[in-house]
Amino acid sequence: MIWQLDLSVLTLIVLCAFATIMVKDLLSAAIIFGAYSFLMCLLWTEMGAVDVAFTEASVGAGVSTVLFFAAIYQTTRMVRPRRSAQWLSKAVGLTAALLTGLVLVIAEKDFPDFGNSFSPASLHLSPYYITQTLHDTNVPNIVTSVLADYRGFDTMFETAVIFTAGLAVIAILRRIKKNDRYELPDRSVISEGYPDTIIRFVTRQIVPFIQLFALYVVAHGHHSPGGGFQGGVILGASFILLAISYDFKIVLGIMNEKTNILLGNIGVLIYAGIGFLCLLLGANFLDYSMLSKVLPATDTVMARSHGMLGIEIGVAIAVMAIVISIYLNVASHGKYDKGL
Amino acid sequence: MTIVVIVLLLAGLIFFFATTVGILRFPDFYARMHAAGKGDTLSSLLMLLPLALYSFHEMNMANLLVAVKILLIGVFIFMASPTATHAIIDAGYEAGIKPWTKKPEEESENDLAA
Repeated sequence: MIWQLDLSVLTLIVLCAFATIMVKDLLSAAIIFGAYSFLMCLLWTEMGAVDVAFTEASVGAGVSTVLFFAAIYQTTRMVRPRRSAQWLSKAVGLTAALLTGLVLVIAEKDFPDFGNSFSPASLHLSPYYITQTLHDTNVPNIVTSVLADYRGFDTMFETAVIFTAGLAVIAILRRIKKNDRYELPDRSVISEGYPDTIIRFVTRQIVPFIQLFALYVVAHGHHSPGGGFQGGVILGASFILLAISYDFKIVLGIMNEKTNILLGNIGVLIYAGIGFLCLLLGANFLDYSMLSKVLPATDTVMARSHGMLGIEIGVAIAVMAIVISIYLNVASHGKYDKGL
Repeated sequence: MTIVVIVLLLAGLIFFFATTVGILRFPDFYARMHAAGKGDTLSSLLMLLPLALYSFHEMNMANLLVAVKILLIGVFIFMASPTATHAIIDAGYEAGIKPWTKKPEEESENDLAA
């Protein structure tokens, strides 16, 4: 850790956060928020949390910025001033924020110092993971083993949360009927241009490599930063790139609505199914060591590694399908006809 | 080897500085994107190349892999950054931003547009 670098990055983060709130143009706010995410990612890399930084870079800076753009494209770009009760709501909001901040500052005093080696977490839990992970699971990346094995139950419901988010977006936005009642006037955000040869060509060249990299991230998550979430988001982002720069219809042809929902279900089902398979084989839910009875030529240690790979694949499939589905719904206003 | 790395890194820094000055000082959208696209690509490559060289100071497989990965990032930037610049400029052109000229009455108009 270099505290000068930390301090400068942190200052920029706070500035970005303020700028995001103050700016009246929502498109600018989305871009500044993307910069905020990238700075956050830098800070986490600098603190050694590379997996978290990777997630922030792919989810926070990448996909969510595009989703913001799609939402702004479908709604409105400028913040409209509120007509009444402006000062009252501002005062209430400020009081609530200040009170919450005060509570957090007071509670912060009871926390152990950052990096304190005598805090309870550093005395009992972390040393166990650091010393025993390789012995227990044969996975060098401790973060992946904690995420997918020791706390697999937690991660399973994170996947379920993402799945639920996708379902909610479909339930709210998807419109089967072809009425244009909700056509909004402000379409000047992004011009509907002619197909551009340069952009199309480069997209066509790059997308296969992006997808290959995503598969590498999923499969190599045991040894290097990465895993199901990051890989799935990158896979989804490659399809979003195709939809934006190539053609909305092509992506619909590859990943139509039915495929998306089916893949999202299958992904969650793979995760839970592996858990239930462990249960059937006589172990606890998501205790992969019993999978050695099913998998050929594995002992109980290697089975845990393979079990993690299985659930990472499930997570990647679910996240990819849900990210694509959310984008398609938001960008086309639930009509699946044309996007950004 | 170290001297080459330092010289390339310094060249990258100089080009990054020039890019920043260009973005801040150039008169209109197109000129600014011109500075951003070209300067960013070149200076990123000038920074990545010495990093690859530096990680390759000792001949073995792991260092070679790291160097190749850094160079692959360079290839990606070399393809993606000019395309992104092109896309932004294309969008600006379609949105009807007029290029800057030296005539004074258009100057004030373009200051508003930029």
